[in-house]
Amino acid sequence: MAITQQLGIRSTIEQFLKERFDTKAEKLQPDDPKYQALVEQFQFDTWINDAARRVGQLQVVTHSLKPIHPDAKGSSLYAPPESLNKHNLVGSHTLSANFAGDVVGNAAALDVYKFLKLTFEDKSLLERALENDSELAKALSGKPEQAQAWISAFAAITEPRGEHASHTRGKQLYWLVGDDAADVENEAENFRLLAPLYATSLAHRVFQTINHDRFSEEAKDARKAKREGKYVEQPVHSYPNLAVQKMGGTKPQNISQLNSERGGNNYLLASMPPSWNVRDTRPPLKVASVFSDPGVFGSRSEVRSLVKDLKQFLEKNPTSDMHTRDLRDDYTAMLMDELALFAMQMHSLPAGWSSDEKCELVSEEAFWLDPGRAVEDVAFREARNSVEWSEDIRHRFANWLNAALGGKLPLGDVEFRHWKKTLAKDMTHQRLLDRDRRWMESLMEDLTNLPGGDDDE
Amino acid sequence: MSEVKNLLVLPRLRVQNANAISSPMTWGFPAMSAFVGLMHALERKLFSAGINVSLSSIGIICHDFDAQTTEGGYIRGFHLTRNPVDKTGGTAAIVEEGRVHLDITLVFSIETAAAESEHSNMAHQINDIVAGMRIAGGSVVPNRSVPSHQQRPQWVVLDDKEEERAKQFARLKRRWLPGFALTLRDDYLSGHHQTLQQQNPEASLLDAWLDLSRLNHHCSMENEGQPNEKPAWQVQRPYRGWLVPIPVGYGAISDLFNPGEVANARDEKTRFRFVESLYSIGEWVSPHRMKQPEDLLWYVDNDEEADLYRLNNDYHLRATAQ
Repeated sequence: MAITQQLGIRSTIEQFLKERFDTKAEKLQPDDPKYQALVEQFQFDTWINDAARRVGQLQVVTHSLKPIHPDAKGSSLYAPPESLNKHNLVGSHTLSANFAGDVVGNAAALDVYKFLKLTFEDKSLLERALENDSELAKALSGKPEQAQAWISAFAAITEPRGEHASHTRGKQLYWLVGDDAADVENEAENFRLLAPLYATSLAHRVFQTINHDRFSEEAKDARKAKREGKYVEQPVHSYPNLAVQKMGGTKPQNISQLNSERGGNNYLLASMPPSWNVRDTRPPLKVASVFSDPGVFGSRSEVRSLVKDLKQFLEKNPTSDMHTRDLRDDYTAMLMDELALFAMQMHSLPAGWSSDEKCELVSEEAFWLDPGRAVEDVAFREARNSVEWSEDIRHRFANWLNAALGGKLPLGDVEFRHWKKTLAKDMTHQRLLDRDRRWMESLMEDLTNLPGGDDDE
Repeated sequence: MSEVKNLLVLPRLRVQNANAISSPMTWGFPAMSAFVGLMHALERKLFSAGINVSLSSIGIICHDFDAQTTEGGYIRGFHLTRNPVDKTGGTAAIVEEGRVHLDITLVFSIETAAAESEHSNMAHQINDIVAGMRIAGGSVVPNRSVPSHQQRPQWVVLDDKEEERAKQFARLKRRWLPGFALTLRDDYLSGHHQTLQQQNPEASLLDAWLDLSRLNHHCSMENEGQPNEKPAWQVQRPYRGWLVPIPVGYGAISDLFNPGEVANARDEKTRFRFVESLYSIGEWVSPHRMKQPEDLLWYVDNDEEADLYRLNNDYHLRATAQ
């Protein structure tokens, strides 16, 4: 068994050398001196010996420095998944054993890396070298000392070159490990200097996954089926707001081998919050009230589920103890939040939206939801100023909720007053009204002080 | 995290050109670690300015953002600010930077020995100091989109009585509308990992993370076997809420080096370590859904045994308890 392993490894290597020799010698005649030189160069011992020398120009890494900044010079590291701590966050430790190692260093020596990636019985020569595999040793040379020297040289491909170093172009940050960031006296103990390197093996796996989801034949077929409304079992995966960051510009190979394979592209997944933009907010047109049944307000999914929950809760006819009141007050507070949110979204629309001819809102609701219109629109301002519209809004909200909770559970006058009172006490609602009042006062003041007014002679 | 006693609120800061690339794999909003770093830098600045406070956690509410990227198409690219040349006149190596303009409210948990009568004054001083600092690499500029009275810093002493405290928080959080606060959902990440493993035991945490970071459109047959049978495409989401992939700190990829052991370190007295970014899932939550200030606050929560330098947030503790 051992003999066959040793022979198998040997013939794998010989095959590799033969293929490389054939490619290089293809255009040469056997009598060409260059041909003879090649034959020499590809002698087993000669080539291995040279490779063991040239391997020093390469480093296999999982974490590289160049993507942080192309001009940075310092340590890159080989920290394979199994060497890292297991924990519940996503990092390189989540990669499987067949992760892709990256290579940094002299691109002219990359054939040595190809050699080390040769696999026999599911194990690469690199893995064998790292394990100091005796079968690999026997395959390399009959002289144990020679074999050992080569294996050590090859295994060193994962070692950082020279001493551990960072660089002014590299990133280093102070991270708090003590209790007090401002404790200047003990700051050396309270902080660690962390130097983040680019997890190139992890990034490669992510890149391959996303690229597969974007460009593979299955993905294309599935997207086509989806576009045409046809059935296909394969799901379509899409990455909203995916961005791409270029690394290494026109020379991605200067960053690393894997970066070169990615064409210098690095995918970035989007983390941004949902947009509050007016784009998403539509004015309530062609309705007389936002509080119809269920109405613009009541149709909001959060409001709907709150009302449903509250209704269910009340229908259980809970005894009116402390707990019941607490829960009901919770629901009330959440509904008030939703109302405040709704009003603010409407306020974020361009002022004057309610003057659109398609707007059929009763004037009280327009006064409430489009306060900005009062600035330019004198008639609107005067009308808004002359009625107690906020009382009307409270009344409408209470009516709406009454209807929303109604049917099985008609509300009596007591509950009705409760809701109205709650809204009257609600801080946001009051604050909006107060802001309004103050603004109106200062506006009136400005207006009376305008030159050319009645008092001006 | 223990119960917070005092909050310092710096409302509606406009930050121009903050760093939009938050990690090697995410973009769109600065990393939470940038804000925690701001908190530590601020604490040290205040200390040297003779303002003795301790800041232990920070929350962000984002009211508006404007990412400086190319629009249209499937893939976003970044608007680059410069095309530098090197000594030889060739193009110098650059690292692409992404930028974003933000309108945010910062909330700190704050402690001080100073009398309550000084709080308001201190809040204004701190606000002024923050206005001169970099936030996630961006500069604080006057915010013209909101009236000045909505930008006044606030120091809130939270009541010991739960009911009163709840009312205080209710008032606060409505001032933070409209907006979204970033919370942490480690629970969704591990939960989804387990779900995936039920179908495929080989599924990794990375698979779960990617799956939660994308939209999965599935097709099913409606009215199967009937004359009106038709395919229906739907997006399936394992959890409700606006979930996003986020970096949450760093994990060690080397030993911890003693001071001076690593060449070109920023100083010769601090221990040094090579690390990689670590990721989890975050949820953007409208403040009106939050029950208590702790829901939005983030703090340093290292696990040095496991070589983790990470941030934490407790929102999921309450959210899953419901």
